Amino acid sequence: MMGSFTRKTGYSLLAAGLLLFCGHGAWGQAQTTPPASTPAAVTPAAATPPSMDTPLDVKAANPPSTDDLIKGDPGGTKTGTVSDIVVSDPKKGLTLADTVNQVGQNRIAINFVWTLITGFLVMFMQAGFAIVETGLCRAKNANHTMMMNFMVYSLGLFAFWVCGFAIQMGGGAPYATLGGANPLNSEHVLNLFGKTWGVWGTHGFFLTQAGSYDVGVMVLFLFQMVFMDTALTIVTGSAAERWKYVAFAVSSVFMGALTYPLFANWAWGGGWLSQLGANFGLGHGYCDFAGSGVVHAVGGLTALALSMIIGPRIGKYTRDGKPNAIPGHDIVLVLTGCFILAFGWFGFNPGSTLAASGNGALRISSVAVNTMLAGATGSFGAIFYMWIRYGKPDASMTGNGLLAGLVAITAPSGFVNSISSAIIGLVAGILVCISVEFVDRVLKVDDPVGAISVHGANGIWGVISVGLFADGTSNYGGSWNGVNGSVTGLFYGDASQLLAQLIGVGTLIGFVFSFSYVANVVIDLVVGQRSDPAEELAGLDIPEMGALGYPEFVLKPEGVGSAMAAD
Amino acid sequence: MKFVGVFLAVVGWLIPVVALTYTQSLGTRFVLTIVGIAISLVGILFVLNQAHLKHVIWKQ
Repeated sequence: MMGSFTRKTGYSLLAAGLLLFCGHGAWGQAQTTPPASTPAAVTPAAATPPSMDTPLDVKAANPPSTDDLIKGDPGGTKTGTVSDIVVSDPKKGLTLADTVNQVGQNRIAINFVWTLITGFLVMFMQAGFAIVETGLCRAKNANHTMMMNFMVYSLGLFAFWVCGFAIQMGGGAPYATLGGANPLNSEHVLNLFGKTWGVWGTHGFFLTQAGSYDVGVMVLFLFQMVFMDTALTIVTGSAAERWKYVAFAVSSVFMGALTYPLFANWAWGGGWLSQLGANFGLGHGYCDFAGSGVVHAVGGLTALALSMIIGPRIGKYTRDGKPNAIPGHDIVLVLTGCFILAFGWFGFNPGSTLAASGNGALRISSVAVNTMLAGATGSFGAIFYMWIRYGKPDASMTGNGLLAGLVAITAPSGFVNSISSAIIGLVAGILVCISVEFVDRVLKVDDPVGAISVHGANGIWGVISVGLFADGTSNYGGSWNGVNGSVTGLFYGDASQLLAQLIGVGTLIGFVFSFSYVANVVIDLVVGQRSDPAEELAGLDIPEMGALGYPEFVLKPEGVGSAMAAD
Repeated sequence: MKFVGVFLAVVGWLIPVVALTYTQSLGTRFVLTIVGIAISLVGILFVLNQAHLKHVIWKQ
């Protein structure tokens, strides 16, 4: 009986399903590619579209009754039905307009929630940076290092709210996935060589100016703010253990207000780098999906500028210039922090779609997988390099390898496939080890946490890798930076995309570094960047912060150059 | 020398930017961009950094 019913009913349903499918397919085709010469005899008559204020027959949707709802809904089949659609005019009841508006709001709501939650994940990365940096420093500077990482959040947020956000995003609207954020529609442009060059936004100061008190703008602000703060906290690592706290505060505010927003505007806010495709025919313009360049290279190059200005820690180099290894005080903190950062990166990269619904946003799954793959292969690259070269799988460099892979995949994560991600991460893991040795031994620039190599060198590698590996399959609403089609790199046939990326690299190295350098030289002249040598030797916890990070620990007087000389 | 280092870094950036407007050739733009990046790197890593290393704390 059951078998007979199933077979007969199944065939009927299959036939009905095929008819429906074919009908739907024909409808879909008619919407996108109308036939060039359809005979008049088979042309369907144009149906009159229903009026938007026509009341709908709600009962036909079979909503659950009040009695049904009182019994509860353990299966989840009675919650979220036609009864839950907001009706604009109770006298008319549910109309087609109500239903269509609800669909639109649902899409934007999904995107809001996605962007906000991924922004919260990125915010939590501050904790990861804090404990990675503190673990890689000596115990006598634990309080000072933690407090830099703690306050950089508030200082950066304040500067970004005052003017940074407006400079960065004030001219980039519309942001379609967030409902437009249309008040952010004013970009200051220069007219040079017959082209327009967007240089900074002018709407959104204090999140109130020029109509920027807007729900979409708020979502965008939160997401962009936590990215900016990531760039700022990179610098605290490279300058740790000898950076005067007041100089740190001034420098961080400046970076959050100007340095970061300027480059971010050029890349993400409708500025001139993003328009290299539209204006000069270079691929899709400078493409940086989640910020290998905008966030990490800006942070890493600013870290390099600052580390040059303040010089190495006392004891880092011998009188003849040989580097001493200064081991961090807690490798457990370091590796835990790396895991927190890897977790937060699932907000960083997939969240950068600013959407989970529409505009090709379902690619978030691919972005997330690319992110985890590159992190894994980054740690492979570093651990194998260290193991082969030094005979031991160095823990801190393995952690840095993970971070390097994540930094490098940040720009290409939305444009590449998983094999490319694995390659990009592996190269990053090796590159970070070579770069740390180069910075330490050749440049003789002291970087206690390897921030210049992890974020600077690999941020640049990530930017370049977009121009090499972008496979032309992404489709975020059909265009990127105002150029139709998908971002495609050199290996998939578009050499001009690589050139756009290289011009971005040149801007990072030439402009961002120089701007940061000059700004920090001025701060050095005004407030002084370097802490007092006696205070540095004693540890900055008491002189700068007034309390030890670990008051019950007995600290060794000085341990530099004792056990693990770098070469 | 510090000034020279920063100057080279900025010039290295301006070369590919200006080249964008003076030539349509992709190859020429590539070459000028690479040259620009190289000049910036030399200015930063060698000229500017060497100037800082002259008065570095471990030499005092």
